[in-house]
Amino acid sequence: MLDFFTIFSKGGLVLWCFQGVRGPAATAPVNALIRSVLLQERGGSNSFTHEALTLKYKLDNQFELVFVVGFQKILTLTYVDKLIDDVHKEFRDKYRNEFQQKGTLGLLNSTFDFKDDFMRLLREAEESSKARAPTVMKTFEQSQKSQKTVKCMIETRGEKPKEKVKTKKNKGSKKEGTEAVVAAGKASAGDKQPSAAGEKEELTKDEILQKNREEFFKRHMKAGEKSRSPKPEAQKEKGKKPRVWDLGNSNAKVLDYSNSATNGSVEASPVEEFDPDIALGDRNREPGRLYDLEYDSDDEAEEEVIQSPLKSSVKKGGLGGMFGMLKGLVGSKSLTREDMDPILEKMKDHLIAKNVAAEIAVQLCESVAKKLEGKVMGTFTTVTSTVKQALQEALVQILQPQRRVDVLRDVMDAQRHHRPYVVTFCGVNGVGKSTNLAKISFWLIENGFSVLIAACDTFRAGAVEQLRTHTRRLNALHPPESHGGRTMVQLYEKGYGKDAAGIAMEAISYGRGKAGGGRCCARVASCLMLPPCPARNQGFDVVLVDTAGRMQDNAPLMTALAKLIAVNAPDLVLFVGEALVGNEAVDQLVKFNKALADHSMAQTPRLIDGIILTKFDTIDDKVGAAISMTYITSKPIVFVGTGQTYCDLRSLNAKAVVAALMKA
Amino acid sequence: GMAGSAEPQPEALRPAMPDPAVLSVLLALLAVAVTFLLWRFVQGRRSRRNAVLLLGLCDAGKTLLFARLLTGRYRDTQTSITDSSAVYRVSKDKSANVTLIDLPGHESLRLQFLERFKAAARAIVFVVDSAAFQREVKDVAEFLYQVLVDSSVLRNAPALLIACNKQDVTMAKSAKLIQQQLEKELNTLRVTRSAAPTSLDGSASGGPAQLGKKGKDFDFSQLPMKVEFVECSARGSKGEEGDADFEDLEKWLAKIA
Repeated sequence: MLDFFTIFSKGGLVLWCFQGVRGPAATAPVNALIRSVLLQERGGSNSFTHEALTLKYKLDNQFELVFVVGFQKILTLTYVDKLIDDVHKEFRDKYRNEFQQKGTLGLLNSTFDFKDDFMRLLREAEESSKARAPTVMKTFEQSQKSQKTVKCMIETRGEKPKEKVKTKKNKGSKKEGTEAVVAAGKASAGDKQPSAAGEKEELTKDEILQKNREEFFKRHMKAGEKSRSPKPEAQKEKGKKPRVWDLGNSNAKVLDYSNSATNGSVEASPVEEFDPDIALGDRNREPGRLYDLEYDSDDEAEEEVIQSPLKSSVKKGGLGGMFGMLKGLVGSKSLTREDMDPILEKMKDHLIAKNVAAEIAVQLCESVAKKLEGKVMGTFTTVTSTVKQALQEALVQILQPQRRVDVLRDVMDAQRHHRPYVVTFCGVNGVGKSTNLAKISFWLIENGFSVLIAACDTFRAGAVEQLRTHTRRLNALHPPESHGGRTMVQLYEKGYGKDAAGIAMEAISYGRGKAGGGRCCARVASCLMLPPCPARNQGFDVVLVDTAGRMQDNAPLMTALAKLIAVNAPDLVLFVGEALVGNEAVDQLVKFNKALADHSMAQTPRLIDGIILTKFDTIDDKVGAAISMTYITSKPIVFVGTGQTYCDLRSLNAKAVVAALMKA
Repeated sequence: GMAGSAEPQPEALRPAMPDPAVLSVLLALLAVAVTFLLWRFVQGRRSRRNAVLLLGLCDAGKTLLFARLLTGRYRDTQTSITDSSAVYRVSKDKSANVTLIDLPGHESLRLQFLERFKAAARAIVFVVDSAAFQREVKDVAEFLYQVLVDSSVLRNAPALLIACNKQDVTMAKSAKLIQQQLEKELNTLRVTRSAAPTSLDGSASGGPAQLGKKGKDFDFSQLPMKVEFVECSARGSKGEEGDADFEDLEKWLAKIA
């Protein structure tokens, strides 16, 4: 039933492989597993789906091996987990010598003849899953219900058993199939004491009747009283009168409470008594000055709090603890889950305190635990240092870009093909899209590329004016004279209220240099003549598209954004996120990606290609948002914004960010 | 009388001077310390930089090349997530050994492992997938650039070999073509990388390290280390049964050992 089972070393050598009957080659799915799960620190759960296959895996951290089994997604095989564990144990014990003594050369040179053992284990696992036959229904004789009645019959004829029987019969009488039950009860008890059962039955029936009669009469009395009370209400209701509002039918004049004498005339309004001291507040302040926020940093307090639990854990335990600690320091000790759990808890809280989203911190710690379980520590390394080291490596791994991050190189490429490089900025409200757009255009101009800014934020008041001011400033900083007579920055806007996708499309074709004034010599729409041609404007190297900020839950706006991106096919889709965001980052990115994927018609939808992390100067070392964002999307952080002037644009330094994260 | 009283004085003076036993102990300790330091220094010198690193993009064929060099047999491979190292006898008659280290090529791991092993590198073999080169030229160039501007690589100047692997595939590009394309690409990268925004902690990304000579187009001969291009095929023309096709690579390894 299995498609394949592979055992390979973490260094990449396949040690043993089993190909099922109809299974395709195992390499591609296993590579996908490695790249998406192990390398992206999503090792929390041990199963992964790839196309039509489900892959389950297990890591051996002591000998650096990986065990992977693949089977069809539609099957639910219950014996797979047990099979992996058994195979792991057997393989490790059988080839322990090769691993320990010979090292890599041992792996290369020895042949691993594991087929027979594997077939045996597979057979055992399959049989154990079949062994549990479907449960057969019990007959009435075997059930507890019949046994209860028999027992009751046999026991004393006191009140209790009677009540039990009564309750049994009462319950039975309520349902429809009562007679069958009663009869069966009778039949089972029948041989033993038929007369007693019969008597009891009659007694109970009479008692029931009596009780019911009493209740009925009681209710009747109450009903009688009740029937009288609704009558006066009914009488009242017959005479239904329309409700009269005070001043309801009178006209508007009566409702006008404004003083006609004072309305509109300034002098007639009474001068209110107001106390300037209360309104202004502090009399001694300098007029026009804005005072700083006062706060005191309690960083030292935090450090003490974190250090003391560590110290206390070291001092704990008398002689036995000392000996254990010494033993732990020297010699080969393999890490167990129990050793790592308290430290991982602490690291998880530390990460959350540094503004990493909570669920991501949990998943990260799970993945690190899986990677370290069973690993043999070297001498003089404590568990804490090993875990911290592993976590640090995992964080650096996450922040490394999975694809090339070189905007200038791609712009040059687009220049060679005579088309503009289109970048779209999207994000929620107020994260700094327009500000960072201006910074990026400044950077591009410094490198000699001309920029066209497309104002596709047609909603927010002042958005177009903001971009116009930026354009004016940038042109003042880089006048056309210093760049060979061409304008380096231009704004393409169509005012407010229009469709953003349409403006973007027009801006891109304007940037390409078509549709200029003047006569075209060849009169061909797809003419690729360069700027000296009088029919076209100069054409721009980069088109930066600014969109309106929108909340990720706002479905119509997300649809509009997805349409803009799907229709215009920009070269780079950048998500702008602020570094202050916490758990919200996960939600934002997931929903943005989902919206872009849902509304795209293409086979491979355009998702977010990169992230701009803004407002980085406002967080001291709580840099966790960088981790959350890259973990969720596995896309790189292309730029970091560290202020509001044009020079405050940086690139991400993974080591510095991780150092700030791990710092206590 | 007087002579008698003068004599005990030098004897009384002697205990004030350091005891010869103490002095000899101190001298012995000093000798031990010096020998220890010398030994460490010499050993460090000898064992340092005895490694040959196998670098390259993912799926370039590094792990298979590693296996073929060491055992000569074909092995199935998966994406490596950690390094593998083994001692390699350069040739049957020479007793020189080098440590072959196969580093993972995946983007999230490659720089970390390079950091760890670059100090010990005597030579670097940069493996390139010749069949997929046209598609991947920018990524190959970027990784090569990152390796070349690394400060310890520039300082130690280990010999560099660019192995154009997968020559058994019909569409594989020749070493000459790969060389030309890489030179062009690295020329552009010099400009774009130095113009990138400075990184967060202020250290410029490859700023002070200038690749090659300014003003002239980039050429591999401008680098401080010796660079060679060879063609090879880890799989071999006869597939899994036959031998690998990499005599040039073996000869080069014998030369630098």
